[in-house]
Amino acid sequence: MSFADVLAILSGALTTIWMSAAGIAIGMPIGLGLALIRWARVPIAGPLVITYVSLLRATPLVTLVLLVFFAMPQLGVTLEPIQAGLLSLVLNTSAFNCEVWRASLLSFPKDQMEAAKSVGMGRVLRFRRIVLPQVVRASLPGLVNEMSLLVKTTPVLAVVGVVEVTRAAVRIGAETYEPLPPFFVALAVYLPIVFVLVSTQRRLERRMARSTAP
Amino acid sequence: MSRPIHWLARRTLLAALPLLALAAAHSSAGAATLEEIKKRGYLVVATEDDFRPFEFVKDGKPTGFDNEMVEVLKKSAPFEIRQQILPWTGILAGVATGKYDVAITAAIITKERVQSLDFTSPIADATHYYVKRKADASIKGIKDLSGKTIGVQAGSALLGRLPELKSMIEKTGGQMGKVVEYTSYPEAYQDLALGRTDIVVNTIINLQALVSEKPGVFELGQPVSGKSYPAWAVAKGNADLLKFLNEFIAKEKASGTMPALQKKWFGQTWDLPVSFTPEF
Repeated sequence: MSFADVLAILSGALTTIWMSAAGIAIGMPIGLGLALIRWARVPIAGPLVITYVSLLRATPLVTLVLLVFFAMPQLGVTLEPIQAGLLSLVLNTSAFNCEVWRASLLSFPKDQMEAAKSVGMGRVLRFRRIVLPQVVRASLPGLVNEMSLLVKTTPVLAVVGVVEVTRAAVRIGAETYEPLPPFFVALAVYLPIVFVLVSTQRRLERRMARSTAP
Repeated sequence: MSRPIHWLARRTLLAALPLLALAAAHSSAGAATLEEIKKRGYLVVATEDDFRPFEFVKDGKPTGFDNEMVEVLKKSAPFEIRQQILPWTGILAGVATGKYDVAITAAIITKERVQSLDFTSPIADATHYYVKRKADASIKGIKDLSGKTIGVQAGSALLGRLPELKSMIEKTGGQMGKVVEYTSYPEAYQDLALGRTDIVVNTIINLQALVSEKPGVFELGQPVSGKSYPAWAVAKGNADLLKFLNEFIAKEKASGTMPALQKKWFGQTWDLPVSFTPEF
């Protein structure tokens, strides 16, 4: 394994990081939106969200990305590998995020809502000041769990030609006939990425605990 | 060459995605004709990234026999060449749906594949051989293969022709051992080196590349199949594009460019047929 090979894996790491970050940044708010639609029992949209979430939770990411990449052109939409990969990540993670958000929304105590209503808070204010801060805190472990899963599913995108950490490592192994060293380097790249996610979670939790302390 | 996962990928696609099945059913509807390619000004070529010595990536740059042929094609083609690099899994599905115009990779011509794809003139000889650990003194010829574990790529053309090896072993009075299928060859070689499998079957070209890179670990065995050729693939019925590519291959064969590249990447040249009808 040469220095250029390590650089190739690091450039794959950049792809992994930015695609994961973009997938999370787009997918998480969409997940919240979907969860709210279900939580508020919006007519028509509610059942649609149920269908969307069930379908996407049942679709393996590799199938989804192949479908997006090869079937969309049939509908007249041509996507580059990166675009198809990102779209699939967002579709996939938004469905799982929706369920995380929804679980916290469902367990939100009703008496607090009634208390807020009784002091004359409107719907939006109630959501922003009472529900959201607590739901964010309750969802955080589940969300971070889903984020780290997303980082680790990115190798699947290689199937349409996205070169992330694992594919870069596979290429090197195929060239040198020594597949193990590049995989160790790849592993060493994933560890800090997931570590950053988990330590951010801890820091956020600590801060939130402080801010709500009496 | 072990074009393995291709039908597997296609099957996954078709099974899981009725929409795509529909699209693939009238597949040539998606594939661009030579005239359409000339009109829009570019040809979309798909190549692989982990199939040394045909196509692989060295220091971040695509290289190997097929990639050099693409470079030659770029110089003479009356249109731009746009190249997409992706794993084998998606390549033939992409050609069948028209996402790519041609797979410039070493797809072994098989009976099953010619039903959904058209193949150009062969680009190499891909007779199947076995490779063994150099240190393994128990294997000296076909007759010693009785009961040995055989590694091969899943869904590959090589897997489909193992019955040939089986009858060769049985002729010597032995019995074919367990067959282990791998998703890709680098893993099979790794297992062979580790002793979890006794021989790995692949084409002579791939195995010569392996043995010359790791002469201390592996040793080439004997042929275990009849004739077998890899070629480039276009969508079924895309006759004009096929003719264009065959003319390109014939021209580069005559000019000496293609034999020189074969010599460079495969260590030898062959007298290859212009077309090949597979028996398997």
